[in-house]
Amino acid sequence: MTRTLKLGGQVVAVACVVALLVLLLWRLTHQQHAPKVGAAAPGFTLHRLSGNGSIDLASLRGKVVVLNFWASWCVPCKAEAAKLEQAWLRYRNRGVVFVGVDYHDVTNDGRRFVAAHTLSFPMVQDGSGDVTSGRYGITAVPETYVVGRDGKIVLHIPGPITGAAAEARFRAALKTAIGS
Amino acid sequence: MTRRVLAVAVAALALAGPAAAACAHPKTSLAYLEGQVMCPTCHTTLDQSEAPAARAIEAQISRRIAQCWTARQIEDELVANFGAGILAAPPHTGFDLLAWWLPLGGVLAGAAILGFGVWRWSRSREAEPAPVPSGLDDETERKLDDLLSRLD
Repeated sequence: MTRTLKLGGQVVAVACVVALLVLLLWRLTHQQHAPKVGAAAPGFTLHRLSGNGSIDLASLRGKVVVLNFWASWCVPCKAEAAKLEQAWLRYRNRGVVFVGVDYHDVTNDGRRFVAAHTLSFPMVQDGSGDVTSGRYGITAVPETYVVGRDGKIVLHIPGPITGAAAEARFRAALKTAIGS
Repeated sequence: MTRRVLAVAVAALALAGPAAAACAHPKTSLAYLEGQVMCPTCHTTLDQSEAPAARAIEAQISRRIAQCWTARQIEDELVANFGAGILAAPPHTGFDLLAWWLPLGGVLAGAAILGFGVWRWSRSREAEPAPVPSGLDDETERKLDDLLSRLD
């Protein structure tokens, strides 16, 4: 009886260790990384920040999409906002759609940010971060993706599009995507 | 007398304003909610975080407290905004119930195993055999003890 108990205890202990190892392996293999240039942009459907309805990335297939991840509490996002609005006004009639994704933000703060910076391109809300962190592997904002007409990523800019180099890369990628 | 009545009336009117503005129920506190709500970017409770996102949520909580919202109402709004992961404690529904019951089950299972072990150990002690008699008569045993004591 004692031997059976001891054996049972050992089996349970080994099973626990194996389960923990499996969990560790699963976590390591399922960690989300930023999608690479050339890969398909991860799909999502998110509610609009203001008003009703939602935006489905798949519904924008055939257009060049600029995905900008931001938050009202993010200081570099403030500096970037005006640049993005300028670019949106410049390219919106050329088959380009800008979508701002408000990440881990208080809804009212996000709306105030949009009003304060007079941003006119569509905005969606990702309060839980399931899309931003979960699918795009983003942990700090701002970050911007340019998605081609075929739904594949053309450019990824981690950080604000405020420096001359980042702006030049952004414009070049947009022109290439529009031309393709 | 008339003056006194007038003074009381003025005092009552002066107090009526703040009383009307006060909450109908006890106000919750930022300190309490800071321990119940997570910072979404750093995954610690708000009271342990200095992240900008945490500061923004604290500001929102303070606004709601000033508007007499209850802790429950504030938590519900935050869950609607950020998802269930914004609360430090897991919900009491569905799969998350495991987080509440598993530790209790573990303690009970541990106590049961310990109790069973103690019960088995005490039974094995009771069943220990009585000392085997030496087979010597009393006189021989006494002599042997004498001899052994002299050797000491």
